[in-house]
Amino acid sequence: MGECVESGLRIAGLRASVEGKEILKGIDLVVEPGSVHALMGPNSSGKSTLAFSLTGHPNYEVTAGTVSLDGEDILALPPDKRAKAGLFLSFQYPAAIPGVSVANFIRSARQSLRPDDLPPAKFRKMIYEKLEELDMDAAFLSRYVNDGFSGGEKKRLEMLQLAMLAPKYAVLDETDSGLDVDALKSVGNTVGALRGTSEGEHTGFLIITHYPRILQYITADRVHIMMDGRIVAEGGPELADVIEREGYDKIREEVAGGVA
Amino acid sequence: MASLSESPSSVHGISKTSLDALIAARGEGAIPVQMRYDALARFEELPVRQSLKGGRDWKHDLAKLDLSNLDIAAAPQPIALQAKPARGMATDFDSARVRFPTEFAAIFGRAVDTRDDKFASLALAFQHGGIFIWIPDGVHVADPIRIDYRLAAGKFPYILIGLGRGSSATIVERFNGSAFVCGICEIVLAEGSNLQYALEQRSADDARTIFTRRAALGKDATLALAVAELGGEHAVERIRIAAAESGSSAEVTAFFFANGDQHVDIASEVIHAAPSTRSQTVIRSAGTDRGQGRYYGNIKILPQAHGTDASLRDDALLLSEQAHVDSVPALEIAANDVKAFHGATVGAISAEEIFYAQTRGLSRAEAERMIALGFFEPAIARFPTEALRAELRGALEAKFAASDAITA
Repeated sequence: MGECVESGLRIAGLRASVEGKEILKGIDLVVEPGSVHALMGPNSSGKSTLAFSLTGHPNYEVTAGTVSLDGEDILALPPDKRAKAGLFLSFQYPAAIPGVSVANFIRSARQSLRPDDLPPAKFRKMIYEKLEELDMDAAFLSRYVNDGFSGGEKKRLEMLQLAMLAPKYAVLDETDSGLDVDALKSVGNTVGALRGTSEGEHTGFLIITHYPRILQYITADRVHIMMDGRIVAEGGPELADVIEREGYDKIREEVAGGVA
Repeated sequence: MASLSESPSSVHGISKTSLDALIAARGEGAIPVQMRYDALARFEELPVRQSLKGGRDWKHDLAKLDLSNLDIAAAPQPIALQAKPARGMATDFDSARVRFPTEFAAIFGRAVDTRDDKFASLALAFQHGGIFIWIPDGVHVADPIRIDYRLAAGKFPYILIGLGRGSSATIVERFNGSAFVCGICEIVLAEGSNLQYALEQRSADDARTIFTRRAALGKDATLALAVAELGGEHAVERIRIAAAESGSSAEVTAFFFANGDQHVDIASEVIHAAPSTRSQTVIRSAGTDRGQGRYYGNIKILPQAHGTDASLRDDALLLSEQAHVDSVPALEIAANDVKAFHGATVGAISAEEIFYAQTRGLSRAEAERMIALGFFEPAIARFPTEALRAELRGALEAKFAASDAITA
């Protein structure tokens, strides 16, 4: 991709443990700028562990491998420096921060990640545009972050942050779960806009999902199947269709039979 | 200390002799002489109330309070009314009984009972200075009334506030004390009146302040009392509100953030003594550095107070290993057919909240600051006027900046 050989979110030989138990057993994956990679797999295959290991959650210990973001090794960085390098995570279960309004939270985030880029009036204009695109009510802005939010509202707030922060690379951890069709479409639109040129970002996406349904709204360039901490199958978008028809069992049998 | 030259002589300590000297120098003021001597006798006899002791070895213990060097006779300092009520009566407390005898007699002592109260007795015995505000029947004071004062050593102010039938007002008190200040705030609300009262306590780092705050609510009266205990080395705030008549309603809010070697003690009690009364108490307490704090809260529902709806919510946040905050909420319910709720939490900032904010580019220190400031927000939101809320947020941010336990 491009003139720089190092560009991309490059994961190589990544192993990670939680409380001494190894969950990731060697992950190799490259997300190029502007590309969409789907990471699929059954429950407990290690998908969320990958998301937390990439973003530097303190409970996840990386024991081997490297992760670089456009050439910068990010594994030694604290979570906020990884965000500043351009990495974003849409949480499956985002934390509530009572007493901090959505508007202040996103404003603080934007100022941390892109100092001095937007005067308050332009920030306000931008956030209202994004709210409208996501079909969200402006009343959201004065609510406390995720405090008392429904599951769907939490996911929408993650998408609002994604749209406002326009990162270089975004990991979406089960953002599709619990969303209705309209909400899935708006996730698809947000992803589509960011991978395109509208923000000039060419955001690369790693979309973690259990179900192929989201891929009706987002066209994946590559699909990776994860089981038991390893990527066991890779292919184009048609691989998601296989999962849709046959579930994970067939692949599981093939892996067990050594016919990967 | 130029004002010292106006003092008749330097009188120190709490004793009958020093009270004699005070009265000789200043006259009896608004408190009758015999009432003062009786109060002094009670102060000397009464033990420190249990609710203020607690089970651990506190840095400051009122039982060990040494007032022998306290300068009692220093000249009084005026309390400034920054914005006087256009259609109310306001004067210094000492001349209130002479200037507004009817109103003074109607409310003085209606909410405060010093008979079993050591520090309220002390404040009454040595009372000097203070303020009296009366809002007549049916008068609505639109702009907030601001009481702004600064007190040096050995001051015993009395703040007396009364609202007539169907009147309303907002009062913002900003208090800055040093050394030792022991005062009383008495609020008496007549039928259908509505008072918002906010206190911003910003005493000097060396100050020890003890305030006894009492309110009595008439039929359908509403009080929103909000207290920010920000300053002082040792600040004690004791609130008791009597929802004395039917339909009365109280909203109590208090917060503190003990940093450095600060020690803050807040006790609040709402007594539901009549049917269909309501109260809602929200407390936020936090400690960092070696700060110590304690909240003791009670909701008391008497047998006749059926149809009462009361809640008490207190949350405590610890930001350093050495900080300590105790929280003791209680409900005493003697009536049937009531709604009563209390909930309490004590803990550190959740690691998941910090991580979440960090993934949005905030450093760990920035995340902690944002989350901790957010912790106070439900309390701050209940203070009147945006200017005051902004001031309180600024004061909390300054405490964060001063804290050595919170590092970047």
